[in-house]
Amino acid sequence: MSTLTKVLIVLLTIASIFLCGIVVTYVASADNFKQKYDNLYNGYQAAKKNEDNAKTQLNSTIEEKDRNTEKLGEQIASLDEQINKLKSDLANAERDRDDANRKVNNWAAIVMDFSKTIENNEKLVKGALTERDLKEAELIKQGKELKDTTAALMENMAIVTQLQDESKRLLEEKTELQNKLDQYLRQFGKAIAEPTPVTAVQEAARLTPPTKDIDLNGSITEVDLKNLLAEVSIGAANGVKEGMRFHLTRGDKFICDIVILDVWPEKAVGWLELVQDQPQDKPQVNDRVSTNL
Amino acid sequence: MSPVVQSHGKKIVAADNLYTVVLAVAFFVVLAVAMFVAYQCYTQYNTIFKIQ
Repeated sequence: MSTLTKVLIVLLTIASIFLCGIVVTYVASADNFKQKYDNLYNGYQAAKKNEDNAKTQLNSTIEEKDRNTEKLGEQIASLDEQINKLKSDLANAERDRDDANRKVNNWAAIVMDFSKTIENNEKLVKGALTERDLKEAELIKQGKELKDTTAALMENMAIVTQLQDESKRLLEEKTELQNKLDQYLRQFGKAIAEPTPVTAVQEAARLTPPTKDIDLNGSITEVDLKNLLAEVSIGAANGVKEGMRFHLTRGDKFICDIVILDVWPEKAVGWLELVQDQPQDKPQVNDRVSTNL
Repeated sequence: MSPVVQSHGKKIVAADNLYTVVLAVAFFVVLAVAMFVAYQCYTQYNTIFKIQ
């Protein structure tokens, strides 16, 4: 065997062993593509099934959504009707509330006016009570004076009775003396003359001086119908006094009466009486006031 | 298998049977590798040559 053949045998053996090692290493470490393919295919089939299930579920969900949409549309329509009804109820309630608030405000104003009127009336009542007390005291005083006067009158009556008795007795004496004088003068043919009274005869009644009208005229300068008070353009300088009653007229129409409560030099304030209910017959500024109609 | 002793140089030379053994080893190695590859193909793809 030649040397070259031996060398070739050795090289062939080394190359075979080297290549066989490479092949074994590659084949041992190569991936199992069939298994990978099977896994991927199974995954694909599962995904496809999932897709079909998802589509079915999606369709059912869409149908249910449509049904729910229709149902919700009906509910929305009914709720819209309820909302409109509630809005109208709310508007009515707000209107009622506003009316009630206006009534409350009106009643509050009326109550305040009544309170003021009551305060004024209380003041007037206090003044009237004070005046009544003064009058009662004066009445008691006058009663005492009347008792004293009655006692004095009784005493004077007794004196008068006594004087009448004495006068009667004196008349009888006078008649007796006159008879005696007649008898005495008749002897001489004379008669007694009629005696003239020494004292003047008093008249039974005396005429009082004629009364005259006050005749004050003025006008209304301010009116407070809530408290039934009015201001007059004439005052103490014109002769106005507390308690005077003036008649309020407009043209030829009688409006009401005013009783003076307080007097200043140039004006006076009084209480309105007999005020009529018609608005055109209420007292106004520039209405004429006078003591005589 | 005994070494051939040459008379003029006294150099030890391998016998020819040694190279036959080396060739046999190479052949069995290649055969074993082929069988291993065939086994792997069959276990993984259920066939040796056919492409599915």
